Amino acid sequence: MSDAGRAAEAELVARCRSGELDAFEDIYRQYSTRLYNLAYRMVGNAADADDLLQEIFLTAYRKLDTFRGDSALGTWLYRLGMNVCLDRLRSKAARQDQATDMLDDRIGHTAHETRLSVNRLDLERAIKALPEGSRAAFLLHDVEGFDHHEVGRILGIAEGTSKSQVHKARLRIREFLRQPAPESAKHGART
Amino acid sequence: MNCETYRQSVQALIEGDLDQEQQRALEAHAATCAACRTLTADLETIRDAGHALERRTPSKDVWARIQLQLTAEPSFQNATAERRTRDAEAAARSAHWNWPVLAMAASLLIALVAGSLYVVNLSRTPAPGTNTAARGNATSGELVQSIESELDQAAAHYEKAIAGLEQVANASDSPLDPELMTTLKANLGVIDQAINDSRTALKAQPTSQLAQESLFEAFRRKVALLQDTIALMNEMRKGNQAGAARVAESLNKS
Repeated sequence: MSDAGRAAEAELVARCRSGELDAFEDIYRQYSTRLYNLAYRMVGNAADADDLLQEIFLTAYRKLDTFRGDSALGTWLYRLGMNVCLDRLRSKAARQDQATDMLDDRIGHTAHETRLSVNRLDLERAIKALPEGSRAAFLLHDVEGFDHHEVGRILGIAEGTSKSQVHKARLRIREFLRQPAPESAKHGART
Repeated sequence: MNCETYRQSVQALIEGDLDQEQQRALEAHAATCAACRTLTADLETIRDAGHALERRTPSKDVWARIQLQLTAEPSFQNATAERRTRDAEAAARSAHWNWPVLAMAASLLIALVAGSLYVVNLSRTPAPGTNTAARGNATSGELVQSIESELDQAAAHYEKAIAGLEQVANASDSPLDPELMTTLKANLGVIDQAINDSRTALKAQPTSQLAQESLFEAFRRKVALLQDTIALMNEMRKGNQAGAARVAESLNKS
């Protein structure tokens, strides 16, 4: 990001800190859709994603004092947003006492000679079935378009770990999509 | 290369992290292995499909909910209250620094200075029919004290006018450019030097007509310069470039 961009972000954040709601709304307008999509694909449903988006922005406002401008505001918001999503998933998993790493042991290298055809609904289901770590990395890299360095900063992992997580996610998605679709998925696809 | 080696490197291949030699080796294997070729194509398809996933939009009421909750939070209310206080203070300061008001105040002070100088001049000039001998009756000490007192009064008004001008000139919205301000300050410095020299001469010879006239002439020049400066600010603020140019020209000649 350019110095001018950083300066503009710093000014916007300063205005937010001083209680200018318009400035905070600017940030919301700029990042809400991307963060909503991240939340939606992390938790898998629209109602929870709306709640998470609200929680992300309220948390962001409360933590604005911790934004030092070392990273771009977007990166900072994604990091914060991802933490909010992961906290929600973990507390939900703890309440339901269930494991979230549904496909952890299902990476296979089955030989296929016909190329995969991907439709959106199947891909959404496959993403939802990913373990948290590789789902987060896949969403940030392949869906949101961050590079591995940025993904590492957002998730607090090394760049190499990001590459590895994204690769595992793609392999798991491939295996998921290569499986015959269950009848319920064929006829009652969730949107 | 076998399939196992290929699979270990396929991630780097897709990421574009391999050098040309490594890439050629993988491509050579893929050319002979349909399974590895398909694996690479599948992973690229998934990557591209992820990037092409449609954007969903949040419910329209999310911002309203955030706004409602935010405005109810004490930290937000405190920040807003502090900002409003600061804004009110800044507005008050802005009103105080409002340049037309300052310009008018400075003009009034200049008028006062000019008036004082006129009074001082009158006191120095014998009235028609006045017996000069009567003036001569005043003691030299009283005369010196009187002159110094009048000069001090004029100087006090003068200093106020200068302070007013400086406030106008230093205001953040001053329309004068730095180069012109430098010229003005240089001219003021020359006049100040003349004033100091005249004062020194007057102290040495309080009754010296030449020293008095020299001092008052320096005061008049400074008053005229201040008035022209304010006139220039007026013209520039009004956007009257021609008027500003005329005043600036006379200033540069000062």
